[in-house]
Formats: sequence, C-alpha cells, structure tokens
Amino acid sequence: MLTQKSANAVRLAAVSRIAASMGLAPGLTLADARARIPNLIAAEAAPDSDSHMLSRLATWCDRFTPLVAMDGHDGLLLDVTGCVGLFGGEAGLRNATIMGMKRLGFSVKASLAGTPDAASALARFGSTAIVPEGDDARATSGLPLVALMAGEEATRALRRAGFRTLGDLTKRSPAALRARFDAALMRRLRRISGEEETRLTPLRPEPVCRATRRFAEPLSDAGALEAILKALLESAATDLERRGEGGLGFEAGFFRADGDVRRLAVETGRPSRDTALVLKLFAERMSALADPIDPGFGFDAMTLSVLRTAPLNPAQSDLMRRQRESGLADLVDRLIARFGPDRVQRFVPEDTHMPERAVQSVPAVMTRGRETWPSPEPGEPPARPLHMFDPPQPIDVPVAQFPDGPPGRFRWRRVMHDVTAAEGPERIAPEWWRVGEETLTRDYFRVEDSTGRRFWIYRRGLYGRETREPVWYLHGLFA
Amino acid sequence: MTRFAEMAAATNYSFLRGASSPQDMVLTSLLLGHEGIGIADRNTVSGVVRAYATLCDLREEGLPGQEKIREGGSPGEYRWQAHPAEEVLDAGAVKAAAMKFKLAVGTRFVFADGTPDIVAYPENRQGWARICRLLTQGNLRGKKGACILRLGDLTADASHLLLILMPSASLPSRALLAELSEAAPGALWLGVRMARNGRDRRRLAALARVAAPFRVPLLATNDALYAEPGARDLQDVMTCIREGATITEAGRRLEANAERHLLKPSEMARLFADAPHAVDESADLLARIDFSLEQLKYEYPDEPVPPGWEAQAWLEKLTWDCARMRYPDGIPGKVVGLLEQELALIKELQYARYFLTIYDLVRFAANERILCQGRGSAANSAVCYVLGITAIDPSTHEVLFARFISTERKEPPDIDVDFEHERREEVIQHIYGKYGRHRAGIAATVISYRPRSAIRDVGKALGLSDDVTARIAGLQWGSWGGDIPSAQVAQAGLDPENPMIARAVELARRLMGFPRHLSQHVGGFVLARGRLDEMVPIGNAAMDKRTFIEWNKDDIDALGLMKVDVLALGMLTCIRKAFDLMAQHEDRSLQLYDVPQDDTATYDMLCKGDSIGVFQVESRAQINMLPRLKPRALYDLVVQVAIVRPGPIQGNMVHPYLKRRSGEESVVYPAPAPEHGPADELHQVLGKTMGVPLFQEQAMRLAIVAAKFTDAEANGLRRAMATFRNVGTIHRFERKFVEGMASRGYDREFAERCFEQIKGFGSYGFPESHAASFAQLAYVSSWIKCHHPAAFACALLNSQPMGFYAPAQIVRDAIEHGVLVRPVDVNASCWDNTLEVDAPGAKPALRLGFRQIDGFSESWGAKIAETREVSYHEIERMQRLTGIPGRAMRLLADADAFRSLQLDRREALWAVRRLPDDAALPLFASSAAQELGEEEDAHLPTMALGEHIVADYQMTRLSLKGHPMQLLRARLKAERILSCAEVNDAKDGTRVRVAGLVLVRQRPGNGNAIFMTLEDESGVVNALLWARQFEQFRRAVMMARLMVVTGRIQRSKENVVHLMAEHIEERNEALDGLSDAHRTAIELTRADEFAHPQIPRGRHPRDARVVVKSRDFH
Repeated sequence: MLTQKSANAVRLAAVSRIAASMGLAPGLTLADARARIPNLIAAEAAPDSDSHMLSRLATWCDRFTPLVAMDGHDGLLLDVTGCVGLFGGEAGLRNATIMGMKRLGFSVKASLAGTPDAASALARFGSTAIVPEGDDARATSGLPLVALMAGEEATRALRRAGFRTLGDLTKRSPAALRARFDAALMRRLRRISGEEETRLTPLRPEPVCRATRRFAEPLSDAGALEAILKALLESAATDLERRGEGGLGFEAGFFRADGDVRRLAVETGRPSRDTALVLKLFAERMSALADPIDPGFGFDAMTLSVLRTAPLNPAQSDLMRRQRESGLADLVDRLIARFGPDRVQRFVPEDTHMPERAVQSVPAVMTRGRETWPSPEPGEPPARPLHMFDPPQPIDVPVAQFPDGPPGRFRWRRVMHDVTAAEGPERIAPEWWRVGEETLTRDYFRVEDSTGRRFWIYRRGLYGRETREPVWYLHGLFA
Repeated sequence: MTRFAEMAAATNYSFLRGASSPQDMVLTSLLLGHEGIGIADRNTVSGVVRAYATLCDLREEGLPGQEKIREGGSPGEYRWQAHPAEEVLDAGAVKAAAMKFKLAVGTRFVFADGTPDIVAYPENRQGWARICRLLTQGNLRGKKGACILRLGDLTADASHLLLILMPSASLPSRALLAELSEAAPGALWLGVRMARNGRDRRRLAALARVAAPFRVPLLATNDALYAEPGARDLQDVMTCIREGATITEAGRRLEANAERHLLKPSEMARLFADAPHAVDESADLLARIDFSLEQLKYEYPDEPVPPGWEAQAWLEKLTWDCARMRYPDGIPGKVVGLLEQELALIKELQYARYFLTIYDLVRFAANERILCQGRGSAANSAVCYVLGITAIDPSTHEVLFARFISTERKEPPDIDVDFEHERREEVIQHIYGKYGRHRAGIAATVISYRPRSAIRDVGKALGLSDDVTARIAGLQWGSWGGDIPSAQVAQAGLDPENPMIARAVELARRLMGFPRHLSQHVGGFVLARGRLDEMVPIGNAAMDKRTFIEWNKDDIDALGLMKVDVLALGMLTCIRKAFDLMAQHEDRSLQLYDVPQDDTATYDMLCKGDSIGVFQVESRAQINMLPRLKPRALYDLVVQVAIVRPGPIQGNMVHPYLKRRSGEESVVYPAPAPEHGPADELHQVLGKTMGVPLFQEQAMRLAIVAAKFTDAEANGLRRAMATFRNVGTIHRFERKFVEGMASRGYDREFAERCFEQIKGFGSYGFPESHAASFAQLAYVSSWIKCHHPAAFACALLNSQPMGFYAPAQIVRDAIEHGVLVRPVDVNASCWDNTLEVDAPGAKPALRLGFRQIDGFSESWGAKIAETREVSYHEIERMQRLTGIPGRAMRLLADADAFRSLQLDRREALWAVRRLPDDAALPLFASSAAQELGEEEDAHLPTMALGEHIVADYQMTRLSLKGHPMQLLRARLKAERILSCAEVNDAKDGTRVRVAGLVLVRQRPGNGNAIFMTLEDESGVVNALLWARQFEQFRRAVMMARLMVVTGRIQRSKENVVHLMAEHIEERNEALDGLSDAHRTAIELTRADEFAHPQIPRGRHPRDARVVVKSRDFH
C-alpha cells in the first residue's frame, strides 16, 4: 500500500486489492494499519510520479484519438467521436484500449458513454461497458450516490433522505433538489445522465507559439529540411520578439507521410531568439542522435513549437561582463547539445568539514554559477592548499611532537624536508554516519620547510584515544 | 597539580545543544580532578538544580543518584535508572573529592543583538537575584520558550556578577570590551578556547592583545558541550534536530571534531602553555563565587495573617473556631488531643503561615462554591480536617500526623488540594491576583525525549524514511518502556542488524530522557514572601495568563521550597453538578461532608459490582474486585481503591487478604522468633488489614519494626521510593530488609514478598491516607448514584470528558437504574443535560442536552433555550427566531431533535436543507418571512429502525431507540450465537459463542492477557484472550467493532464471569449493513488502549495521575 503524510500522521493513501479485502482503507494511519497487520508492506506515495506516468499513458492514447484528457488523478477521458471506425466499432476500440494497456501492465476499467461524466461515473462506480447511443440516463440510473462526487456532507444528506441511486434522484422534481443541494451537484447529475453536453479539455499543453509548414509533396532532402526549420525558427523569433520574450525550450515536429511522428527538442540555458544559435543546437542534436531521423517516404509537414519562454529585453551588448557570461552560457549550451547534459560538469562547493569532499562536480545544467565559495577571513593565510592530492600521499615522519604536535621533519618521495615553521593542528573528525569510510580523526598542519616550500600534511588517528601508531600523509601543496 | 575548573559547561538543558546530563557533567568533572565546575546553559538555569542535587548525592553517598526517566505523558510515568558508573566508582574517594568540589551555577546569556555570548555567575545572593531578574526580563519579552536579551539589559546593572565574554569567531570589539569592563569592573574575563581549528596559538595571542589595554584577564575554557568525546555523534544529531536538517546536509553547522568535552587539568595546562595564567584564572573565578543554591531559603508569604496577629496565634484561633463548628456537639477528646499535639509541632517548626496559606485557598474556593478536597498525607492531619482542607474525620479514623510532618524530616509540609476541574482556573487566577505574578509561579514540567519522540527525531536526522521511522516509533505496546529491544525492531519488519537502523535505535536510546523544552506543570504553585523572580527566572506559558518558573517539582523538592498543588479533579465537578441538580429538582441540599455515611443500600450496590461512573472503582479490574471484597464500610473502600495496584499485586498480597476477609483463611500475624521480640510486634502495624500489608506506610513500618531499620535507613528507603533525590537505588535496601527480617525469624518468603511490594510501591505507591481521601469521594459518588441516579448520570454527562465510560454506557446504566431518559428535542433540551420533574415529588427524568450532539456549539444551544418561550412550531420560524445557522439546524434534524414538531429525522432533514446557510440579517428579518414557498409533500420513504439507530450513534454516540445488536439478534440466533446476558448466566465451563460491540481492549500489567469488553442489548461480557493466541487473531482483535468470541465460561465463586476466548472473529460488515448510509460509529470507551494509545498500558490517565501524587510527595 502507499502512504502519505497528512494531518500529522502517516496515513494510507492507496491500498492493494488484498489489503482492501483485509479491511484496510485509505485514510487509516499507518501505525493503526500495522497494529492490525504487522507485516504489511508500505511505500511512500509519489503523486508527482503518478501523474507523470498518467500523462505518459495519455500520450500513448494519442493513437486512438487526439482528444485525451485527465480524469482526476487516476483516470483518462478519451473523446472517440469519429475514431471508432478504424478499430472495428466501439467494442473493438474499447477492447484495443484495454488490451493495449494490459500489455503495459495496467488493469483497466473502461466504459463508453455519451458524455464524459457518464463514462467516467460508469467506469468508476458501475459495470456497464458500452452505453448505446442516447441511453445514458437509463444506464446511469443504477449508479450509487457517491458517483455524484458531491462530498461527504451532501452524499450523507441524500442518503438520509432515503435515496440510494441516481435514478432515485432523477425521478424527483428538480426544483425540490435545487432548493436543497448546490448547483455543482445538480450539474454533475445532469451531465452523468446525459442531459447536458460537456467538452474535454485536451491534455497536450498549447505551445507558447508555434509555426507550421505543410508540403504539397513529401520532402526528404536534408538541406531543404534545414532551410524550412530555419524559416520556421525565424517566424517564431519574430513572434517572440513581439512578446519581448526569448525561448528556453524549442521543439521541432517531423510528420512523416506514413503517420509516424518524430519530435526533437532542444533547450537553451538563457532565453534566446537567436535563430542561428537554435539552429546550430538542432543541428548538433541531430548529428548526435543515436537513432537518426529517417525521412522514409518523406515528411509532409513540419512544426516548430516554442514550449517555454522567459522575458528577454533588447540587451545592451556593449557590457563586457555580460558578453563574457553569455559566451560561457552559449558554450555550455552547445557542449550539452553535443555531448549530453551529464557529460558537461561544473564544480560547486559542498558544505562539509572533510577537505576532499568540499568540492563536487555536478552537471552544468543543474547550476547557474551562483554558488558562493567560502572566502578566507581577511588577514588569515589560506586554510586550504591550491593543489590537493587524491589520494593523499603517505609520508614518513621520524619524529613529531607528542601527542598532537607537528613533525620536526618528514620524508616525501625519498626527499627529507626539515620543518622550520608549522601551524596547527586543525582537527577534523571523520563523518561517523558514512558507513565504510574514514574512521580516524585527522590533525592537519600547515608546514614550511627549510627551502620555503609549504605543505599541508596530516596525522591520521589521535594518539592514545584512537591509535597507538598514527600515520602521516601529505594532502596538498600551497603555492 | 594544575588548578582548573571548566567554567563554561553546558548541559542538555541547553536544549538540543548540550549532549550530557548535568549529572554526567558534574560527575565527570569531579573524576577528572577539577576544582569545580560552572554550569551555564543558554539563557536558562533550569538544569542547575540537577547538578546541585547530584553533588549533594555524591557528598552523602559517594554515588550519583538515580536518574528519573520519563515514560509517559501523564504525571508520574517515569522510572528510575541507576547511573551506569555506579558499579565502578570508589564511593569513599568520590565522597572525599565531592566535599572539596565546588559547583558554580550561572547562565550563558545569548543575546538577540549580535553580542557574543556572555557566561555569568553570581558573586553572591544578590548576583543570583540579578541573573534571575535578567532572564525573567528576557523570557517575558519573548514568546513561549524564547528569551530575548540585549547587551544593554546586562550592562544596565552588572553588579555582583562575574562575567566571561565568550568571543565568536571574530575578535571582540574594543567598544564591547570597554562597555563590559566598565559595567563589571574587575569582574570580567575573556574566555579562550583551544578550538583545534589550525590557528589556536595566533588566536590566543590576538585575544591577549585585545584584552590587555582593558586589563581583562584571559580565562581558559573548553566551552564544553558534553562530558566525554564519545558524545559527539549524539551532539551532531541534536544539531540536526535543532536545524531541521539531515546529517548529510548539515555540513559545517556540525562541529568539526569531538573536542568540546571536559578536559583533564593537565591537558588544559598543556594546551595553554603559552598562557598558563589563563588556566589559573578559572580557579580564581570559581573561588570568588560565594553563592550556592542552599541559600535560597524559603520564606512563607505574610498575606494570610491579619494585622496585629502572630501567625501561630492566628492559626490556633482559627483551628479552635473551626473545630467548634465542625463538632457542634463538642469537640471529641481524641480530636482535642490531636489538635494540641499538631499545633505544638507546627509551632516548633514554624509552619503556621504555610497552613494559613492553604486555608486561604480553601476558603476562597468555599466562598466561590467550588468543591475542593485535600489529598495525600495531609489527610493525616486533624488541623487540616477542621480547617476544611481534607475530609478524613480524625474522630472516626486513625490519623498519624507524623506521616505528614515530623521533626526529623526537615522538609516543608506538602498539601495537595483537588478542585473541580472546570473551575480550577478561577483558583489559579486568585493566587496570581493575591500574591502577584512576581511572587507566584507555576512549576515547570520538563518535556523530555521518550522512545517515540526520540526515534522520530533521530530517524529524521539520520535521513531514514518516514515509513521506517514510523515503523520503529509505531511499535505497539511496550513502546513506553525505556528501551527499544531488538526483538521489537525485528517484529516491525526491520533488520536490527542493519547499521543505519541499529545506529538510529542506539542514538535514540541515548537521547531518551534528554530534556527537549520546558512546559508548565498542571498545578504546582510556588509562592514566595519576597520576589520570586529573584529566586528563579519566570517565563510565559503557552496558556494565556499563565507564567511559570524554570524549575520543576523535583527541583523545588531538592531545594526545599514551598509549593502548593492546585489540582483538578473531574469527579469533584461531577459531584458539584449532581449536588446542584439535587438541590434544584429534588429539594435536597448537600455538602461533601454531610452525605449520609454507612448507607447500606450504597454498599449493597457496590458489592454487586454496580459501579459504572463511580470515582476510582469503575474500572473493569475494580468492578471484578468489588464482589470479592464486598465493601461494607468506608475503610473497606479505602482498601478497595488501594488493592488493585501494582504494589499489592506485585507483592502477592491480594489473594491472602481476600481469603482472610472471606474467612477462608484465619488471620495470623507474621511473628519473629521468640528470642527476637514479642510475637505480636506486627499487630499494631497490620491490624487494620488482617495481617496483610497493603499500604505503603505499612511496608515502611515493617522495615522499622520487623527488619529493624534505623530511622535514617527507613528514611533512605522512603526517599528511594519517592523523590528524585533518592540516594542509592532501592536494591541497596533489599538485602538489608530481607535478611533483617529473616534473621529475626520471619518467614523469608514473606519478607521477599514484602520487598517486592515495596518495589511495586516504588513505581506506583498508594499510601493509606491517600486512599482514604479517594475512598471518601468514591463513597460520595456511589451514594449519589445509588439514591439519585438521574442526577448522577446527568452530572456525569455534563462533566465529560472524564472517567472510563462513553455516554452510551452512562445512559444505559442510568436506564438500568430506572431513570427515564428522554431524547434531545428542540422544544425541551438545553445545552447541558437536564432533569425534568413532571409532578412534584415524582422521580426526575433525564433530558439529553444539545451538548450530546457532535459538532454542536454551546452558543447555538443557549440561543435555542433562551429564545424558546413556549415552544417552536415550525422550522423556518425557529431559525428566524434563534438566528442560528443552517448548519446548526441540519445537525439538530440529523440528531432527530424535531420530533416535537411532528417531524422525524428524515422529514426534518429534508425540510431544513431548504433553509439558508446563514440566518438572515436583522434588517431583512421581516422581509424574509415569506421567502420559502409551500412545497408539495415529498413522500420520502420511511426510515428503517436500523438506520435511525445508526444515525443516532453517529450524531449523539448513543441511541434511545434501541441497540444496534438487537437488530442482528435473529441472524445471530440462527448462528447459535448467545447474547451477553445468556453468557453471563451460563454454567461454568460451558463453551459458548457471543457477539457484541467492542467497548474496551486492554493489555494490562505484564501483557500476558488481553481483556476485551463486549456489549449488546442485554448487557456486557468480559472476554480474555491469552497473549500467545493474540498473533493469530491480531487483525480481528484490532479491527473489530463487532466481535464474535468463542470460548469457555469461567465463573468464580463470587459469580464473576469471564469468557476465556479461543476464537475471535470480526463482523464489522454486519454492523455496516444495518444502514447502508454510513458506518456505525461505536465509541470505544476512553480506556481502550488501541484507540487511545497515548495512555500507557494498564492504567487510565486519571489513575496514573492519582498514583503519581502519592509518589511525588511522600
């Protein structure tokens, strides 16, 4: 079962069929559920992933109809008007949907009715598979009151009045009901029983702006395609300029004559309407595709959609700094387009005492270069060296001050260094919560040898408290 | 030898920062050879008394006292834990070291204006007053828990203070040093710590440079957060909890290393080789402190003594005046003697003002007609009785004043007074009003980590998922214990060997018992003659109009301050309401003390186990005990309330007592061998309880008389059982006790049993005087229930929530006692439940009030009753007249309260739904008259009885129309399932099946058995399921609202019937089928441990509270 935190407790959000048969229901606290069935398996609900999955399933449904809409967080509505012919009638279409989804690993309840509300109510609360044309009122009359989804208070009031089904309600005078229940409930009742028409709100978000070109003859020549893409981009750029915006996400759609659709998206790090730049990104993207775009019999249409935008005002390009920054951002964009987002990395500071972990490299797209690096206190010598060894280099220390002082001299790469000045220790204890890593405390020293070279060395292990024989390492070099 | 004292030691009272208890800090510091220690927590002194008490223990015993570990939310739920170092310490050496060791108590001021922290110690008593005033000032400025201080507050007057400036990462500014050294000339130090951050020596030099011009000496400290380096991980976790971060993301908010612990003096000397004088300064500062918590001598307030009178003379006058009123026919000679004795002792110990203070409170309550009664050992005082503080009449009961106050126990007396729970706030505000907020404060309660909260916070800090943490935290039963056993971790489906889980459990275990924040105590008041805020800081409580001090009751005890417990007791409210109803409807006016005593009918009723709603003896265990014990006099009730307790049960004293009482066993007194003393030496001790020790006092007397404890030893034992200052653990006395008795010829087994009992008392003691106070209330409530059942039920319902039973059981019980109960109706009900007397002299009927309707508001109910002149005839008009919203009308309709308008629930609901949501504004009231037109008859189908009953339960949690089970009876009969009544009549050993609604599920004591109470239309059945079968039926037990139990009848010779369960089924669906409208809302009684898991097992919270009182203060 899935759990979710609400009202100060971890509660069940959804239960499996077996759990439901054992009397568990959403809303129960996990602790209570465990008290009843100690060995139940619970995972945290991920509503975001669920809705993502549902929207992917909606895209998959594109094959049946272009008009697909979400129905709550666990349903899909398909407007199949005029689509049934291809699938051998309504029953065939319904079957194809169910079987297709079953192959994807879903169990589906599906109903086909005259209005979206009727279909949704029947799928959720009824058992009718297909409602004959114009028969919605009769088909839905046996549905229970919860199908109205009117909230607990109203549903209870209806039940207390002796109603059991939607049919009981439709027999009543609408005036008597209207005097007692809110308009939303009445509307839902009319919609389920097919008295009121409704439209779907289709799923795919409308792009911010979009340019389309249809061709009389299918095109397959790469040069021609690029020219058309350029033209589309220019028309989109004009559009963007009028809005005072730049695009952040662009998508090109290639519609093949045989019905296959290929969509290709690029992103820019900063809002842009620079046609040449975006075109270059598309070109790099295409040349780096593992599965190149195959024109087959040629394309009969192309679209360019700008999916996301941000304000972009005409820039004063004479500021050096801005230019340099945009130069770097452009470079990052181009490198990402070429090598993929994971391959372009950037250093960011990490909040930890452990020196070797204080810097991390992360994908450049995830950062915007805004990180602040710790700056040394004024007047203080640098605390960390310019160069750090990974792994630290073992050194040989013949003698050191007892118990936690610096060494008098040390041998590194067979050369003996006499320590003339030392400062420390800086004591850094291991991160005890990391399993299987460093377990000993380090005492770091900044030392200078007789030739004026400065080293960053440490003793691993506290004498007495942690070990009898501490070992020494060179971790870095100051300039 | 280096002289060093850590002068900046934080304890875990620096909430979520310090990772060692005050005990550990003091002990470790002492063992390291410090001159002393300075305890300074962040803007608080709440931990210093613990440190002080520890040092006292070490000086007396050479061993640290036990630590008090909280286990539950209610008062008194704690256990004692011996200090782990106890076994390895050399007591003699520790004692000697402790004598020389000096404890400095102060605080660490943390400022809101960016000033670095300043640790402050009092140079003398005035300095302490200054610290307390400053912290109070900061506390009152902030919201609860926050203390907002600015540098100016301190520098305004820093006289008698010794200050250590603890510089932050940057150097302190010259301006700051100048300001401080001017405010505290010659009393300022600059704290230096070798932080091991790579630049210690340069920083030391820099600080010395900054301080030199101002002649501010450097002072060496390690700014300790814990006693030993091993506490680093716990401290890191506490940082995460405080910052709301997980350990992996906390980063540099954590300390870089494990160095902030107490260091050896030699180590300090080594670290401060560049500035050895800094180490010496710590000892010098310590030597300048001339303040100890001992100096906080309590002085009683003057208020209650009228001008021109000496306190003692006034008390004597009052006592004799009151005594003459109490005994109008002349004060019995016995009482005169007692009063004279007591007054003499009070005079000797100068406690007169204390008695007058309490008397003043009780007088106030009497004038305001608030019922109150003293509890606890004060019941041993004849003075308290005649002054009206307690209710145990010394002329008819044996009282022992020495148990209350004695010369050898140099502790202030302790009187706890219960008031009606709904009106206690009036008493509290009276105290504030009379003594002023600067002189009266409520004691604090330290909210500490308990297993659940510990694992929850640790789990979060370690980044465990909510589910995993919830699994560990949510372990049912036994989660109140001090430990989280591996077996339980495994039982929750987790691997106890998994490093992360093992680590979380281990850290949680260590975090347990750590204070988390302070809260206010329920009613312990501290009163002072002078300014209280110069004794201890005062802060704002979360509750409006309340202020509380930083110390809890143990601290107050340890310092010997005076306190008054102003407690709340629901039963007093109930009795007051019943008295009022009786006066109003039955022409009978009573007070607590003039309820007829020794009433046969009342005792007959109790002997049958008919005690639902009665104070103290209404639990299942008590109901089962009543027919066995057969109480016939008040003293039997005293035994009754005390016997169903861990003490007598653990000591196996219950059965011997019952057997002797029923005459099955002869009364013999254990006796020593003839050469060791007279055979009747225990007659005096055990005479009243037939030779079986039942009360805490008897156990104590046994120690002295039979085991020959000296007074000091007995006192030690008493303290081991009672307060947190107990010296040594109880087991130290075990040998002495058992051997002492055995060597004198007593049966060893008896001696062992007696000591087991003492251990039981140790956790949940119940002394006789206490039992007597409660038995008195138990009797009064039984008498009312017996003779005025309608008033009793009505008062009980109006005092809800209280007691064990839900309204359905209270109403049902009233009906069984012949009370006519009438439903809620808009034309008859008020907000409260009321009595209706149809004809003069007739038995009153109980009319349910609007308060029984879930979700109904008191103002609506009052409005309906007020506006109702004759009666309401029509729904629409009623809403216009009363102006109550549509929602209220719908609730009324759904509660079926329109019957007097000839509308049943369904018709009424249909009608009220047409009403507007809000009553019309007055301006439109008249024009609204015609708003709703006539409507044709709706012809709604008739509502079935089952649906009505279910709806009644949903709305009012009870139904007068019938019992849900009666609707299922035919079906059940076909399955050969018996009714509860049939089961209770069945022969011993018969195998039966019974079905009923589940009222209570409990798993008391050692958890071997689960008790369940089932109810149907004919009565209740008590079923028992052995724990070994529980797993098999866990789901059914936990889920069932309707349960079918198959098992065998076990009937005791007193006719107490138990059903020994063999098989359990859950039949909720039958209940749901009664009305397909909704699930039937059956309310479990408040004693159910599964629906109310916050209640520790086996005990009702009120029981627990009762128990505690006796424990805390004797």
